[in-house]
Amino acid sequence: MSVPSDLFVFATAQYDSGDWDSAPLVPANVIDAVARYTNLPVRPQGVTVSLASEAVLQYPLLYLTGHLPLRFTSAETDVLRKYLLRGGLLFVDDHNHDVDGTFNTTARAELRRIAGPLVPLPNTHELYSAFFKFENGPPTTSHEMNGWGDNLIHEHLDAVLSGNRISVLFSNKDYSSEWSYHPDNKRFLSVDNTKFAVNLVVYALTR
Amino acid sequence: MTVATVLMLVARVRSALSAIAWARAVLIGVSASGGAWVMMQIVLQRELALSVRSMALAGAFALVIAAGIRAQIGRISPTRAALWMEERQPAGFALVTLVEQVTARPRSTDVVHTADAADTTSRLVRALAAATPSGGVPSGGVPSGGVPVIAGRDDLARSAVRQLRGPVLFAVGLALVAVGGPRVWTGADVRPRRVSDDAIRGARDLTIGPWRVRVVPPDYSGRMATDYGDAASVSALSGSRLEVVGAGARLPEIRMQSLVHSDTAPAVVLSPADVRSVADGWQAFTTTTAQPTELRVMRGSESRLLLVDGYADSLPRVELRLPVRDSVLRRATGVLPLEALLHDDIGLASGAFELIVSTGEGEQFTARTVRVAATRLNRTHDTTMRASLNLDSMALGPGDIMHMRAVARDGHPSASREAGISETRSFRVAKASEYDSVAVEAAPPPEFDKSLLSQRMLLLLTEKLEARRPRLTRPVLLNESGTLARDQARLRLAVGDIVFQRLGGESDAANVHGADATGPPTGKADIGMLEEGDDSPVIAINRPLLEAYNAMWDAGRALEQGDTKGAIPHMRIALAAIERSRAASRLYLRGKPPTVIVDVARVRLVGRDTGVTNARSPRTRLSAVSALREARLLAAAATAGVDVAMTRDSLAVLRLESVADAPDFARALAAVLAHLTRGGDLTDDFSRARRTLGGLVRVPSGDWSRVGPP
Repeated sequence: MSVPSDLFVFATAQYDSGDWDSAPLVPANVIDAVARYTNLPVRPQGVTVSLASEAVLQYPLLYLTGHLPLRFTSAETDVLRKYLLRGGLLFVDDHNHDVDGTFNTTARAELRRIAGPLVPLPNTHELYSAFFKFENGPPTTSHEMNGWGDNLIHEHLDAVLSGNRISVLFSNKDYSSEWSYHPDNKRFLSVDNTKFAVNLVVYALTR
Repeated sequence: MTVATVLMLVARVRSALSAIAWARAVLIGVSASGGAWVMMQIVLQRELALSVRSMALAGAFALVIAAGIRAQIGRISPTRAALWMEERQPAGFALVTLVEQVTARPRSTDVVHTADAADTTSRLVRALAAATPSGGVPSGGVPSGGVPVIAGRDDLARSAVRQLRGPVLFAVGLALVAVGGPRVWTGADVRPRRVSDDAIRGARDLTIGPWRVRVVPPDYSGRMATDYGDAASVSALSGSRLEVVGAGARLPEIRMQSLVHSDTAPAVVLSPADVRSVADGWQAFTTTTAQPTELRVMRGSESRLLLVDGYADSLPRVELRLPVRDSVLRRATGVLPLEALLHDDIGLASGAFELIVSTGEGEQFTARTVRVAATRLNRTHDTTMRASLNLDSMALGPGDIMHMRAVARDGHPSASREAGISETRSFRVAKASEYDSVAVEAAPPPEFDKSLLSQRMLLLLTEKLEARRPRLTRPVLLNESGTLARDQARLRLAVGDIVFQRLGGESDAANVHGADATGPPTGKADIGMLEEGDDSPVIAINRPLLEAYNAMWDAGRALEQGDTKGAIPHMRIALAAIERSRAASRLYLRGKPPTVIVDVARVRLVGRDTGVTNARSPRTRLSAVSALREARLLAAAATAGVDVAMTRDSLAVLRLESVADAPDFARALAAVLAHLTRGGDLTDDFSRARRTLGGLVRVPSGDWSRVGPP
């Protein structure tokens, strides 16, 4: 599928192992947030793209999540390595919000093998001021506050940096659960919790 | 007339001429020095004070001028004096010749010299007689000795008047101008008037002049007093004693005004008790506050600012490092490590851990406070406080809650001074009734997942065995194939447990297959056969898994016979059936999500904090306060190249006014002030301050400029 260069398309990575489609409402919510706060031209529906396909190279931002152990096939490894080398931003979110969970441990191992070690991303990084300003770094999710998963509030995200630019952003904060609701229900929230997704998209498109 | 008489006359004239030359030179020098003094006052538009130093400087200047002029006139030699005399009474150069003869001959030839001189003298007398119209003596008259006077006193007097007239007139005019003072050139009253000593002292007191500023911090801070000298801005801890000492007997009026909300805050005039006379001038005292303050010292028509950057003594900052988080305990036992970081800007006095234990429930409860590891700290700025808490000693029971925090105090003596406290951690001992609702134990992966992996593994091992089969003997083949058959049977039994869901919660796969060994059951009759051997009815059948179950049975039988090639198709059928079952049995507890297509046009830019690209983004309008500050900033920038002192004062006042409500802008102004002191181009600093005032964040082109709160 060819994508117009000026149109942002939210892409969810499909991989052979695990449950890649565990947060099916996140794409719509992120798209809604981008349209709600920015004038970025955005496709009204996200796409699912196989990590083993070079079609991922058309998307500047790739969202990957899951609960189960993550093992990339050789084709997925090759494509993902090429994607990162060519400037793509892979956003990986641990749907278990558990540092001892299987997704976290296996995904970190796989990403280390492909992209290099994840390091803590400073909360003063320009990601947190690319559009909205997040003084304290990544916003806390309700799942962290409720003490589920690893019962931790993660102070920062982890990243693989290519120079000053983020190539892989790794979250244990479970934005996949936090953003997994129908966008029409945003009207019930006092503060829109998808604003950080706007920063993510803007950062991916402008840096 | 003798030679000696003539020479004496020439010597007298020479001395007189030299005196006139010196007088002229000195008069010109003094006049030049006085003229320069008056010119400086005209240029500076103020009267310069007379001091020993300035007088010495003027005298030296006059002396240099006089010496220069005298040098230009040159030495008055006897020959030059004789020539001057013959200019006024011509004698055919007999006088000049005589003087030259006398001054040129060495003393050893005095005899010859005397004869020549006598001859010249007689010739001189004749010449003088011939030059006189009446044939008598010249106008100089004849002295009692009968010697004619060649040049008389009248000639010398005329020459003196001619030489000294100009410089004397200039000096007199200059003196008049100097006595008249600045009024002469400003057109004011030039009439001389008598000025009293008191008036002269009062005139000196009209200026404030330099002062000395001293800040004495409060005693509890333990800090030394600081002498700032003739400063325009000082920094002072709240409660410090500020002393200003100036010159002049007349006491100035001092107004003190806070620069926070300076538009409405009233100015306070320091009382006479705070401004008093001292031996050499005046002295003022006040106590600083935590706010930026302006002291305006006024005397006569002049005023001067002293800006006091007051800052408060901050409360100690306390961070509780251990324990890290709140907890719910089943039993309160063991040792709990405690750790806190303490910091204070002045100095810490004491620190402790505070525990508040509340017991009971409903309307009946009690609370007790316990302090642990109370420590006296000797004015250290930073320290780490550690302790261990024996939970057994706290005797916490079910339902009890223990709140924990670290507390630190500084040396501030006020009784109402608050302590610095950390965030609070809470430890609660769970009640027995809570046990069944809070514990979530991690469960191992379900058997279902393990079966999938094992079937794939069995298939791989069987394929490998089939590849090796030509090289194996029959017994070895049967041995390895039999092992695989047993693994396949175990897996089949595990799958069989989840094929049928019975009302009684049990399954009996062996019996099921025994009733249907020839193939997968189909239809209701098959289900009835499967129920044989179990009384509880089957409420659900996982049909894909049933297919896998039967295929495993066939595969196992082939493996038992050593027919690996025949087992592989059945194993593949089983694997495919298991994958279908896996896909079919996926459950989303939240239900199948709808396919959402966002109506982008409807939601476009309806959020409260939206943004567009730089090229399209107008700057937000400044608030009234910020607009006023921007105007003052621009005014200061306009004067930066003209009057640095005024610019510095303006920026310093603006900075102090902004410290409270616009700290970023104040920091930017501090950078401008620092650069102003160093010198150089201030354009970037002023631009940065202006951007900061507008809340603008500079981003690369094509980036986003609208930054709002999340």
